[in-house]
Amino acid sequence: MRVIVCVTQILDPEIPPGEFRLNAERTAAAEGIGQLVMSIFDENAVEVALQLRERMIEREPVEVIALTVGPPSAADVLRRALSLRADRAILISSEGGPVLDGVVVASLLKAAVERLHPVDLVLCGRETGDWHGGQVGSFLAEALGWTCVTFVSRIEATDGGFLMRRQSDEGWEIVWAARPAVATITNEETNVPRLPKVRDTMLAARAPIPMWTIPELVSDVTGLWGANGRLQVRELVIPGTSKACEWIEGETVTEKAVHLVRALRERRIL
Amino acid sequence: MRVILVVLPTPEVGRSEREAIGAARALATAFAGEVNVALVGPAAESVAERPERAGLTLEASANARTFFIAHPMLRGYAPELYVSALEQLLATVRPDVILFPGRTIALEIAPRLAYRLGAAMVTDVIGLQAEDGAVVITKPVYGGKAHAMLVASRPPVVVCVRPRAFDPIEGEIVGGDTTWVEVALDPSLERTRLLERIQEESATGTALEEAQIVVSGGRGIGGPEGFRLLEELARWLGGAVGASRAACDAGWVPASWQIGQTGKKVAPDLYLAVGISGASQHVVGISRAKCIVAINTDPHAPIFKVADLGIVEAYENIIPVLIEEVKRLRVAGKA
Ligand SMILES: Cc1cc2nc3c(=O)[nH]c(=O)nc-3n(C[C@H](O)[C@H](O)[C@H](O)COP(=O)(O)OP(=O)(O)OC[C@H]3O[C@@H](n4cnc5c(N)ncnc54)[C@H](O)[C@@H]3O)c2cc1C
Repeated sequence: MRVIVCVTQILDPEIPPGEFRLNAERTAAAEGIGQLVMSIFDENAVEVALQLRERMIEREPVEVIALTVGPPSAADVLRRALSLRADRAILISSEGGPVLDGVVVASLLKAAVERLHPVDLVLCGRETGDWHGGQVGSFLAEALGWTCVTFVSRIEATDGGFLMRRQSDEGWEIVWAARPAVATITNEETNVPRLPKVRDTMLAARAPIPMWTIPELVSDVTGLWGANGRLQVRELVIPGTSKACEWIEGETVTEKAVHLVRALRERRIL
Repeated sequence: MRVILVVLPTPEVGRSEREAIGAARALATAFAGEVNVALVGPAAESVAERPERAGLTLEASANARTFFIAHPMLRGYAPELYVSALEQLLATVRPDVILFPGRTIALEIAPRLAYRLGAAMVTDVIGLQAEDGAVVITKPVYGGKAHAMLVASRPPVVVCVRPRAFDPIEGEIVGGDTTWVEVALDPSLERTRLLERIQEESATGTALEEAQIVVSGGRGIGGPEGFRLLEELARWLGGAVGASRAACDAGWVPASWQIGQTGKKVAPDLYLAVGISGASQHVVGISRAKCIVAINTDPHAPIFKVADLGIVEAYENIIPVLIEEVKRLRVAGKA
């Protein structure tokens, strides 16, 4: 069975708001304000793929391939996937191509998935940790003509398909999906990303990473450009958030609790 | 005349659905456009059966048109069939803006529909403005550290609105011309099947998204036992319990309790953040809370920057005393 995990590189989402800056054009975060990391839900997706491979060990070999669309420097996230023991990784270089929006990324991923035929399952994070688009997985499924289940946290293979645990607004659903399928992954206690072993990190640092270019993958490059222009980024603004926090003090915890209840009653909340 | 179509694919017409219509009406006013509403699946049947909800006033002219799409196969989890049904509706109605509520099922259907229509698509929308025929869309990015303003100049555009970002409409959601739309669904399109549905109860019996008081715990709670204390407090307050991603990922509480960017959005009168550091991705889920109280051992925790009231204290010390204080208040209130 062949499983592809689509991963992407983003600005570290945990940088404190105080360190966040915009670029000069105010169209994205400034470069260099933080580390670049694998998007958090993609890490969950890698974990889901690795667990599937481990559970299948007695039944069927599973090959896990990490794919990313990005500049050559995005190879770092592929090395991360390799250090977690993905079987191989391929970089789809976006150099010289159009601005990467959801449709462009999905079109390039589709071409790569077809080139890797036969593929049984493609995993994507539910949304990126920077623009929170939440659409690449669905677009990719549409482009491939495959089925898609979103907000999945666990996957089991069954005959001819997959059992997926899907997060809904009220709880959970168990959904069966035909093979081949796309799933978008959300976080849960069972798919908290593992940490790489030092030795695997060293091996991954040296691993060769094949690079595929846009002209190699799509014959009609102008069609790709056509996807752009549906949406323009006008401007980003940093919302003002700071409130003046009123500190509830007291000599003892009981005093603090009494003062809190009083403050809430004064505000007519209790 | 610009047409804004609100698509409601969930069985329940709740607050998120009313907010989506609220967002559409505000945009329609700015656009001099009209609002159409499409109820798809079980919602079509239940709303059609009982159009007036008790105690609410009827605003008959609020929507220009209402479409009902019901089909025996539009039940449970069937995203492919919902997309197909909507494609059929959109062969006759040509909206400039297609608006979905921010429910998980809508977040699944909307991008697939957008792809088929070749439409621009934006999720997590908190602002919609009309400007010379274009739609200017605001959404938080970088986990809420910035807001992006995006311009969709070529219709149609598909948007999913973020829960608790727009004011819900009151009154009747059905209005204007009502039309039942016949759709033909091909069962072979459906390559997924719902096998089981598990409802996770809220600990206190009060639904998190509707609660007026939410007591929320984070990594600082340290384990599931600490959450029992928060539950007890929430119960005395008549509220619900929520959590940060860190607490959910640790397995202390169910994932459906998560509040934030990729969890529930809440707008209670009182939000008590206990042992939560206040990462931007958490705080975006509570931006409409009226009063935020933070309890944290670290006086420099970012949560205090968004809190109205702050207590620097270990939760183990203060929560039991707070429970006693609230109990006292409640018992005195009854007497
Ligand atoms: C794309 C993306 C989406 C995300 N979505 C969400 C989301 O929806 N919701 C969400 O919550 N997070 C989300 N996150 C994660 C978020 O960035 C933070 O990692 C997370 O909110 C941290 O949770 P926390 O505050 O509980 O933990 P921590 O940041 O570890 O904070 C724990 C706090 O507890 C305090 N503490 C410790 N002991 C005690 C004690 N005894 N008494 C009182 N206080 C104590 C500490 O001082 C600290 O401030 C997302 C991240 C990304 C990248």
